Amino acid sequence: MSGMPGAAGPPRQVPLVDVRSAGLLTTIQDAGRPDAAALGVPRSGACDPLAMAAANLLLGNAPEAAVLEASLLGPELRVLRSGFVALTGADMEARDSDGGRRLGLGRTHHLEEGTTLVLGAAADGARAYLAVPGGFAVPIVLGSASTCLAGRFGGFSGRPLAPGDVLLANVDEAGRPTPSERVWPGPGPSSGVPAGVDDVVLRVVPGPHAGQLTADEFGRLLSTTWEVDHRSDRMGVRLATSAAPNRDRSAAAELVSLPMTWGAVQLPPGGAPIVLLADHPTVGGYPVPLVVAAVDRPVLGQLRPPHRVRFVPVDVAEAQAAWLEAERALDEAARRLRVSGVDG
Amino acid sequence: MSQAHPGSQPVVVPFGDQALLCVLGDSIDEDLNRRVHRLAAAVGTDREREGVPWGAPVPGYASLLVPYDVGRLSLASATRRLERLVGRAEDEPAEEPDASALIEIPVRYGGESGPDLADVARRTGLDEDGVAQLHASITYRVFILGFVPGFAYLGRLPAQLELPRRDEPRPRVPAGSVAIAGRQTAVYPAATPGGWHLIGRTEVSLWDPDATPPSRLQPGQSVRFVASPR
Repeated sequence: MSGMPGAAGPPRQVPLVDVRSAGLLTTIQDAGRPDAAALGVPRSGACDPLAMAAANLLLGNAPEAAVLEASLLGPELRVLRSGFVALTGADMEARDSDGGRRLGLGRTHHLEEGTTLVLGAAADGARAYLAVPGGFAVPIVLGSASTCLAGRFGGFSGRPLAPGDVLLANVDEAGRPTPSERVWPGPGPSSGVPAGVDDVVLRVVPGPHAGQLTADEFGRLLSTTWEVDHRSDRMGVRLATSAAPNRDRSAAAELVSLPMTWGAVQLPPGGAPIVLLADHPTVGGYPVPLVVAAVDRPVLGQLRPPHRVRFVPVDVAEAQAAWLEAERALDEAARRLRVSGVDG
Repeated sequence: MSQAHPGSQPVVVPFGDQALLCVLGDSIDEDLNRRVHRLAAAVGTDREREGVPWGAPVPGYASLLVPYDVGRLSLASATRRLERLVGRAEDEPAEEPDASALIEIPVRYGGESGPDLADVARRTGLDEDGVAQLHASITYRVFILGFVPGFAYLGRLPAQLELPRRDEPRPRVPAGSVAIAGRQTAVYPAATPGGWHLIGRTEVSLWDPDATPPSRLQPGQSVRFVASPR
């Protein structure tokens, strides 16, 4: 049940890092539990799936091997075994305590036993990803290593990391390339939101309740530049606007609970949208006038104040074409990492 | 029983670019919900036996989310295939858990166990015992699991007890809390934020991720609450 391809027999597990400080919300995540939603189990998994895949591919892991996801303020981890790691996602100005060496994003780094990997506050984006060769080793629950925060299971003891936790990694030398100095080939997922960009464009398709809004309400959703609210979390990105007033409360009928998806833009009676992320409740009762295209999930997972967001409508065919193109680009990057030597 | 849109046709619409939503109705209704679960089973069979690249379907009260692999199925062909499944599932008899196998959940009503019972009594014009007796007098159906792991939406609550959700959700509802909102009742399987009215609490554990199945309650089952001494 290691989730590692090509493993002959159960992989050996070794202590890899000791958590010195945990950061704001650092959890173990993989591709989550898309098959467990009918049990009320949120999907979980990395909020920026592209950054997770890149970190893993840099080390020769399967793209969905278990990684650490750090939110806004990263952890400090003492290294218990020398080896390579890969860092992607938000820039937390990672350093190696050994001489204070800055560790860049979108590449692998060799860390010596006894040093401490220090991730600070995110300078851009919301979530950083740390992958290790073979992936972090935790029990697989309902098909995934991901931390289910709402259900308090999965990941590391069903909770965010805490000081004193010792994380294990899978050791599976056979069938996997030996990690080495690698740089992510081409543009891309070192961070979903490029540094210095505050106005983010999210592609949206009409949601199942688009027709229930008045033309004015719908137009306002698309014409407003929304501010990302600080109450955003792994369940959803909360949006706000200082330009008032919101929709007429009486018009916002609550629906009988219906299934929800990652990227659904829920419109509660107050009129401030919530864009659902990987930990969203499986069902909800607010209307969904828009859904963020799946190709923009990585960007969505990196939103934080003071980012501002605009919705740009596309049709389903365009959204799917963009998704497939992104999948092809990821496959191509993975291929180049496999065939190229040092520094892709 | 309310019959939403009597005779109306199920509608299949995109829910984002990776899934379809099949809408059978818009009310809390046993017949509608049975059809939702029947369709979910048909999609599961189509996925397993025919290898159609559906994801795992997710039931709501009166609608079903069906993800699909956009690399292998176009929107048009996914929609056509799901519409055909809807038509076929409507003609088949429902296979459901034996509703006569009643699951009983002991509840301590009121006091510290049910901090909102007095308020519910006041707002419904009943006394606390009256609310508890009425709540425990109904055989409920498990409509869906959702919200958080193992949270079972049970209905239908008697109209006399129907109240909107609390204006201010609680940041933390204790595990085992028995709650009501609208025409629904439920047990919070773990401590979570929650906006329903808490009328009692049970010691029964409803969720264990390591058990098979992890949820004690399954859609289609029948549930009764039994008042235990305070």
